[in-house]
Amino acid sequence: MNVPAPAYRTIGRSALLTLPIALWALLMFTPTFRNANRNQSIGAAVVILFMTGLFFMMMRTGATYRWRRIFFVALGFLFPVGFITSLIAERGTMSIPIERMVSGDTPFCFMVTPSIILPAAFARTVIFPGSILPSATNPHSIAVMIGLWFALTLVMGKAWCSYACFFGGIEEGFAGIRKRAKIRKLDPRLRLIPWAILLFVVLLSAAIYEPVYCMWLCPFKAVTEFPAVRSVQTALQFVVFIVLFAGLVVVLPFLTKKRTQCGFFCPFGAFQSIFNKINPFEIRFNREKCVDCTLCQTACPTMALSADSIREGKTLLNCMKCGACVDACKKDAAVWHLKGTEVGVKPERARLLFLYGAWGLATMFGGSILANSLATMLHLMHWN
Amino acid sequence: MRKRMLLILAYGGAALTLIIAACTPFFLMGAFSSAVAHAGLHIDAAYSGGTIARTYERHGYQIVVHVPVHTRALQRVDPFVQIDFKPVAALPAVVDEEVDLDGDGLNDVHVTFAMDRSPGAKLRGNVVALNDKYQTLMDVGADSFSQLLVNTGDEVVVRVPLNTESASR
Repeated sequence: MNVPAPAYRTIGRSALLTLPIALWALLMFTPTFRNANRNQSIGAAVVILFMTGLFFMMMRTGATYRWRRIFFVALGFLFPVGFITSLIAERGTMSIPIERMVSGDTPFCFMVTPSIILPAAFARTVIFPGSILPSATNPHSIAVMIGLWFALTLVMGKAWCSYACFFGGIEEGFAGIRKRAKIRKLDPRLRLIPWAILLFVVLLSAAIYEPVYCMWLCPFKAVTEFPAVRSVQTALQFVVFIVLFAGLVVVLPFLTKKRTQCGFFCPFGAFQSIFNKINPFEIRFNREKCVDCTLCQTACPTMALSADSIREGKTLLNCMKCGACVDACKKDAAVWHLKGTEVGVKPERARLLFLYGAWGLATMFGGSILANSLATMLHLMHWN
Repeated sequence: MRKRMLLILAYGGAALTLIIAACTPFFLMGAFSSAVAHAGLHIDAAYSGGTIARTYERHGYQIVVHVPVHTRALQRVDPFVQIDFKPVAALPAVVDEEVDLDGDGLNDVHVTFAMDRSPGAKLRGNVVALNDKYQTLMDVGADSFSQLLVNTGDEVVVRVPLNTESASR
């Protein structure tokens, strides 16, 4: 007879630990309640309950990945709904015409950041058709988006990719459909490709003064906005976006149960890995408890673990702290860790310290996207 | 002693991330954004059209001429000069203007286009070069960043490619 595993914490203690997140969520959405219409208020209320409820379950069960994934997949699938709807309401199409580019109305996406670094550093020129400061027609200006990204990155490091990126949830959703992976053998060298693409994109963008990734390689253009198809070049760009999206975000995650775009393609993810070096939180392996069962390796969605790294008790640099390996480990060998402390000593404290910051900002950033998308959906359903 | 120092640094670092997280929505995000805004960055002239060189007043509207944009060696945008006709609301049904682009007192291009104010309408028009410094564009619309005649909503933006062959002679 299967005996259900005992809950990690009592309801009371879990609720107490959830209280700061509940108050934070209320604080984040209070302005929405003050200034919003009915749909926006409903969206905000749902998100407060959703984010607080998921955090409560993290506290109650001791699992991280399972609950984080619910938020993350919701973010991945609802972000395009809100974004595409706002584009169509504003300009009648998902495509961005050249006249909007020359007037600086392209919303800035954080994924462009590595492409613009060299020209910005050496020529003070931003090679993106947006605006530095926010305007009525473009609130997602370069200064706003980089400021937001930098603050979140200081808190999360590479965990941006599993708590903030509004694209990663799409492939995490498709990766979660099958019970077992159809394709199980993946060449570990694949994880080097994002670094190669990062180098290629940064250098080529600086050479031709164009955001190369954004113009040619971003799979998520298929579900956000893309240059209006008015020439052979823009038609080719559109085809590339669709093929990359279908392959890397839908089909391969479905077959491999991995986040293939994030793990084997995304140059921004590689760039974000660098910030893991300055972030105090990480996942480590207690060698005394580890039995080399490789469950953690199988569970890792981005192949951020290798046999060698586990032997050394570490993850690879591209670990995005999603918690899949910790949840999968049956021996409690994979643990949350605060750099500078002993591995396996008070891992729950490290997890809590990390989660308060990461979940708090996920509530602020991803939560507001969710609330906006929900309000948009309610509006589309003529709820109001 | 070293272990103690490491512990202090570790928990100090963790506390710092929590402080940063708590401050982010209230002022930290704004402070970082402000730092970016004041870093002296500008949008590449291939997109923005570059700085303004001179403005001509017409009957109720303005013609704004930008400094010529000379693109970089490997940049796929040809050198051009941007002219803005604004505000859109004040433009006549047919704009037919000769414009001095370099400020030498002689007109350089003859721009003609019909204003179509219906929603989603695409403009098309002609830019005839009056000397060999500029290229003539017939039936130009939203062709490329250097060959352009578009309505952005606030203004009509015209981009005339420089005749680089004549410049190199």
